[in-house]
Amino acid sequence: MTNYIIRRLLLVPVLLFGVTLLIFGMLQLLDPDERVSLYIRGDPKSDAQVNAFIKKYCLDCPFYIQYKNWLLGTVDTVTGEREGGILYGNFGWSKTGSQPVAQLIARRFPNTLDLTLWAIGPVIFVGIWLGVQAAVHHNGIIDQVARIFSIVGTSFPTFVFGLLVLMIFYANLQWFPPGRLSDEFTRVVNSDQFTHYTTLLTIDSLLNGRFDIFLDALRHMFLPILTLSYISWATFLRVTRGSMLETLRQEYVVTARAKGLPERDVIHKHAKPNAMLPVVTLAGFTVVGLMGGVIITETVFNYPGIGSAAAEASVQLDVVTVLGFALFNGLILIVANLVVDILYAVVDPRVRLS
Amino acid sequence: MRKLFYLLSLLVVSSMLLAACGGGTTPTKEPAAPAEPASPAAPSEPAAPAEPAPSALKSKDPTTLVIASFGGPETLDPALAYETAGGEIIQNVYETLVFYDGEATDKFVPQLAESWEVSADGTVYTFKIRSGVKFHDGADLTASDVAYSFQRGLLFGGYSGPQWLLAEPFFGIGVDDISIVVDGEGACADDRECLSALPAEQLVAACEKVKSAIVADDAAGTVTMTLAQPWGPFIATIAQGWGSVLDQDWAVSNGAWDGSCDTWQNFYAEPSETDPLTTIMNGTGPFKLESWTQGEELVLVRNDNYWREPAKLERIVIKYIDEWGTRFAMLQTGDADIVAVPSENRSQVDAMVGSMRVFDLAANTYGPEVEVCGYDPSKQGVEKFIPCEAGQTSSNPIRLYIGRPSLASQDLFMTFQIAEGSNYVGSGKLDGNGIPLDFFSDLHIRKAFAYCFDWETYISDVFDGEAVQQPVLARQGMPGYQADAPVYTHDLAKCEEEFKLADLDKDGIPAGEDPEGDVWTTGFRLQALYNQGNTSRQVVSQILSSNVAEVNDKFVIETVGLPWPTFLRTIRAKQSPYFVSGWLEDIHDPHNWYQPYMVGTYASRQNMPAELKAQFQDILNRGVAATDPAERQKIYEEANKLFYEQVPTILLATATSHGFDQRWVKGRLLNPIFSGDYFYTMYKE
Repeated sequence: MTNYIIRRLLLVPVLLFGVTLLIFGMLQLLDPDERVSLYIRGDPKSDAQVNAFIKKYCLDCPFYIQYKNWLLGTVDTVTGEREGGILYGNFGWSKTGSQPVAQLIARRFPNTLDLTLWAIGPVIFVGIWLGVQAAVHHNGIIDQVARIFSIVGTSFPTFVFGLLVLMIFYANLQWFPPGRLSDEFTRVVNSDQFTHYTTLLTIDSLLNGRFDIFLDALRHMFLPILTLSYISWATFLRVTRGSMLETLRQEYVVTARAKGLPERDVIHKHAKPNAMLPVVTLAGFTVVGLMGGVIITETVFNYPGIGSAAAEASVQLDVVTVLGFALFNGLILIVANLVVDILYAVVDPRVRLS
Repeated sequence: MRKLFYLLSLLVVSSMLLAACGGGTTPTKEPAAPAEPASPAAPSEPAAPAEPAPSALKSKDPTTLVIASFGGPETLDPALAYETAGGEIIQNVYETLVFYDGEATDKFVPQLAESWEVSADGTVYTFKIRSGVKFHDGADLTASDVAYSFQRGLLFGGYSGPQWLLAEPFFGIGVDDISIVVDGEGACADDRECLSALPAEQLVAACEKVKSAIVADDAAGTVTMTLAQPWGPFIATIAQGWGSVLDQDWAVSNGAWDGSCDTWQNFYAEPSETDPLTTIMNGTGPFKLESWTQGEELVLVRNDNYWREPAKLERIVIKYIDEWGTRFAMLQTGDADIVAVPSENRSQVDAMVGSMRVFDLAANTYGPEVEVCGYDPSKQGVEKFIPCEAGQTSSNPIRLYIGRPSLASQDLFMTFQIAEGSNYVGSGKLDGNGIPLDFFSDLHIRKAFAYCFDWETYISDVFDGEAVQQPVLARQGMPGYQADAPVYTHDLAKCEEEFKLADLDKDGIPAGEDPEGDVWTTGFRLQALYNQGNTSRQVVSQILSSNVAEVNDKFVIETVGLPWPTFLRTIRAKQSPYFVSGWLEDIHDPHNWYQPYMVGTYASRQNMPAELKAQFQDILNRGVAATDPAERQKIYEEANKLFYEQVPTILLATATSHGFDQRWVKGRLLNPIFSGDYFYTMYKE
């Protein structure tokens, strides 16, 4: 097991290298005159400005030089300072975020992580629980409701559902506002009185003893979590239900029942663990999806996470930022894949990691 | 069991429908209905006139103005900022020597200058600097600070920012960057490494030239600026954000240019990445920057030590929210006072309008506020809004500003000589299956296209009736504007006549009579480009396409959508037969319009012939050097006439304003040349 993990970890840089080559290589399909518009915001007012950008980013240089510059950066002969270079942790300057891309990610990721932590419970565990219930009460009322629910859930676009709950719970009832925090608390959090221990707002507010800020943060996360839950329950429900139904038909379950085991033990000790394999895969990818930023949900509720920043960058063709996010997402995906593999082994002893 | 299943489905679906209706009706609530749910007993009654409406229109927090916008500033450094989001912050935190007089775009009042004098030949400006003004960090404003700020700007240079606007008056027409001053040709434009490698004495000389053009006298409290030539728009140029005054000590201590002629090249064309003043500010203005969380929000607080009466508002919170639905919800709850409304979402807010101010074109100002009691979405423009009868009021919360022509425009530029290798000219020959590359060099073809354009349909379809045909390049309130200038109108008979007068095979016989055949008998085919998603550019070509086909069914214009990068490259490569593009003015002066259209950016993308360009250039040189408005009017009228006769560009339409705020917002100055709002005069009830 340890060997396996070490070997997989050693593979991470190789995979990331492949990811960078792929992402950067795709851009080269555009010629320099086209690519330059990705570095300029809006309609350039003069052609001199366009030519300056081509020169500055060396857009007409051969591919390997541009790739090298992107990886290692360039050294300014005037000031002697290195500019750019993702290997030095410098992902470039985000023109939509008006700050370095690395800083943008560092600022936005904790918000996304915070949302993910609070969403995992409702999104995954409730979804699984619903699926198990539906399978156990196969064709019963719970099952029927769950099936309708999952059809509606999968066919209801996120942004429609999101805007709907925003209209009801914010515009009409004013219970759950969009954004991250109310203005009065934003001032506190940005001031010196507030210590950022973990950068996760909900945890930091508790550590600072500010229960009011904690509640306010949760209030702002309620609608995003509700939306995320609603759209993912449908999938979890169906996968869990299907897998569970199949497992319940297995002979060893029949045997367990024939032995006279209580039904609760049959379901939870014998059937459920085996039914969980496909669910673990799904859960792994859901968490990756959440951590990579949920674009629509974050945008609708103006939640300042990775997703809304990436959306803004994509819409404005801010290629430097998009590259940074793509790389970051790649990293998350690779790590999460590893975690899912390990979880597999934990859930199913038959899986040998070697 | 099956029955139960259907029953449940019905229940879920109907509850969803209810929920959808509940969410959907909110924005389109009848304007006559009060803010509370309308009583079903009296659905057809108009708003009760007895109810004193304004009492309900109180803001939640009158000390803080909340703006829900999208897309934040790129930089807060006034020397580099060249877009309106940053400009709005700069114009409230920093101050300029002169500023606009209220809502006028062409009248100026002293701000950081107490007064100014211009020499008889129009080249030397002497500004008397106001005393007793303090920067936000407590330092005093001095004449040296003013000189430093302007010197830094000019030496900052670069084409990504606004400095070319200042370079020309100081260095002369065409010398629009300090790099041109250094080596005479600007070989190192926008390239710091290249510039730094030039001989040191050249670099020092350029810097000394800047320093001798802008001289401070701290004892007398004056700054003298010497221009290369008389410059009509000079005051208009320095009234904008790039004329802002920084505190020299503060700027230097934060790592900006130290004022030395030996080091300036290290700061030349500095990008916002490394510019130390990108995120920090220290001005003299009515507001101070409290915080900027990029991409999320920016907060300004009142400067209580302002040299005038402090502002009425204590805080300004600008939230950057990309999603329209979220911004709309904030408008509905009253959490946002001003919201950016994209034109396609206007109708949602239109239904909430309770009062309006209609722009009076003749008086060049917004009329008084009128209560609005009805909304008729079937109409266009201001007619949608039905004013209240005398004595009636509306309890709807939103105020509408409507009808002011904007300072931006989209026009149709024809390429005189299309570059070789274009994929959009069909066969590239006059054979009915393409166009020759010099198609638009023929004046009659250009005129025919102008007569075949239908402004009425364009304004009605694209702008929902809210635009005006632009008579001349100059906008209202600047020299050169002629409301009654001759314009092209939609006239298919004249369009046909012009096509028949064209002589594309250059045999001296007009196409209509040419026995060997010309464009009228062979026809043509070209592809008109627009960038995908830009519906208005698409519609322009569709209108032209159907009209030329009506004149002659052998005339084919195909409308082709390209991704933005490809579209931009094609235009820059001069491969598009014609293109629709837009200009947003930097300063409210004709030079800023005529230059790009007649000799600059667009003229070069159009491959305009040298003789025509030279004719334009001559008029423009005289126009910009004149300082007397009446004289300038005459000169630019000359340009208007030539532009109309030669029609290198079809002037399309200028959209008119259609903006909203909460009715409790008061004291708003609506000057279209402002970047966003000027918060000093604003307050809330």
